[in-house]
Amino acid sequence: MPVGPERFTSRRDTLAFLICLLCAVAARVAPVDYQQVIASGITNTIVAPFLALQEQIELLKEARARVTQELARTDSLVVEDLETQSIRAENARLRRLLDLSARLPVEHVAAEVLRQEGPADETMLLLSVGRDHGVGPDDPVVAPGGIVGVIATVHARTSEAMIWTHPDFRASAMTQGAENNDIFGIVAPLASEGPTTTLMELGGVPFRRRVLIGATVHTSGRGVELGGVYPIGIPIGTVIADGEERQGWSRTYHIRPAVHPASLSHVIVLTGQGRNVADAFEGRGP
Amino acid sequence: MRPLSERWRLAALLLLLVVLQFAVRPLPGDSRVERVMPDFLFLALLVYAIRARPGQGAVAGFVVGLVTDALSPAAFGAGALAHTVIGYLAAWGKTVFFADNLVVNATFFFAGTWIRDLLVLLIGRHVQGAALYWQIGYFSPLKALTTAMAGMAVLLLFRRLLHIRIRE
Repeated sequence: MPVGPERFTSRRDTLAFLICLLCAVAARVAPVDYQQVIASGITNTIVAPFLALQEQIELLKEARARVTQELARTDSLVVEDLETQSIRAENARLRRLLDLSARLPVEHVAAEVLRQEGPADETMLLLSVGRDHGVGPDDPVVAPGGIVGVIATVHARTSEAMIWTHPDFRASAMTQGAENNDIFGIVAPLASEGPTTTLMELGGVPFRRRVLIGATVHTSGRGVELGGVYPIGIPIGTVIADGEERQGWSRTYHIRPAVHPASLSHVIVLTGQGRNVADAFEGRGP
Repeated sequence: MRPLSERWRLAALLLLLVVLQFAVRPLPGDSRVERVMPDFLFLALLVYAIRARPGQGAVAGFVVGLVTDALSPAAFGAGALAHTVIGYLAAWGKTVFFADNLVVNATFFFAGTWIRDLLVLLIGRHVQGAALYWQIGYFSPLKALTTAMAGMAVLLLFRRLLHIRIRE
């Protein structure tokens, strides 16, 4: 809508401007008491509804800030609770380890698992004990649940344990047969599962012997007198399925291991000689 | 004379801007941000003034100034004086610039806000020293910029009502 300049030059406009200007100057130079009266008059009348709106907005803003604060507080509590749970779990693991330590009839030393990020961590564990603590090569490594592995390399203050997931891991094992007789075999990681195996395999079971599903498998202690590694009675796992039949003369069975390496934070290294440690473990073994 | 319906719509738009002044400005919760928030009340004055006679612009400026003085009475009267001058000049200035051009309007909003702040600060003399320079050189231009941007948004949204030309 174009507008013409002739409309904006009237005396009336100039007069209105001058009056407004005069009023403004008067307001500026008026005593503070008068100024306050005018100000409160305006805020209590024409501006009042808008100030009420602003007050509501402020209240909403405060409420939003409070909700955000409460959410942050709740989040902190959740994190704290998770930390507490993790500490409780750690505490329970350490208690179980202490119980095992108290029951073990052979010399031993507790060790912390020093986690290493990398592929080797799935088959080897770095332990916080070494030669200085009496640890030697081929010492069995156990946890409250059962077998973990065997010491492979020993340093002065640390050692490396080969855990049961390692392809070279073997343990002489025994379990209860269907005819209530002892059946012996060799336990190894389940090769078909690859390096990230979570199962074991009991092999070399004579073809005519049958192992019951659900039977517990322990170390047999065979050959300990001749320098064998594991004493009798360390739990290895539970038979969960039939494996393959090898050339018609032996059977294999799949075993769910008693201990999973991922859950380990502390272990026990058996440094002394012992024949039977079955009573020390949870479930008491054979 | 404008049609009655158009006047009502313009009044509704001005009321909306006044509501925005009280509803939006307090939202950030940070006084530094609030100092550079768009001045919707002043925007309403300018939108009205450039479509009114200079006398009406001066009266509107005086009323808006008095309201701002009542809300922050540190320099009572300074706002009324500054807004009266700006309201009058805005209406008078229509003869000089094209009131229906978007860019000219945006520039006008920017300059108007900045000059208004300068006038209030100089007449009020309630801010002095380094704070005065910060206000004139930093906060006021930023507020002028946000006000100009808000003004552009208003003009674009209500271009038919305000007779704004987008392509020139």
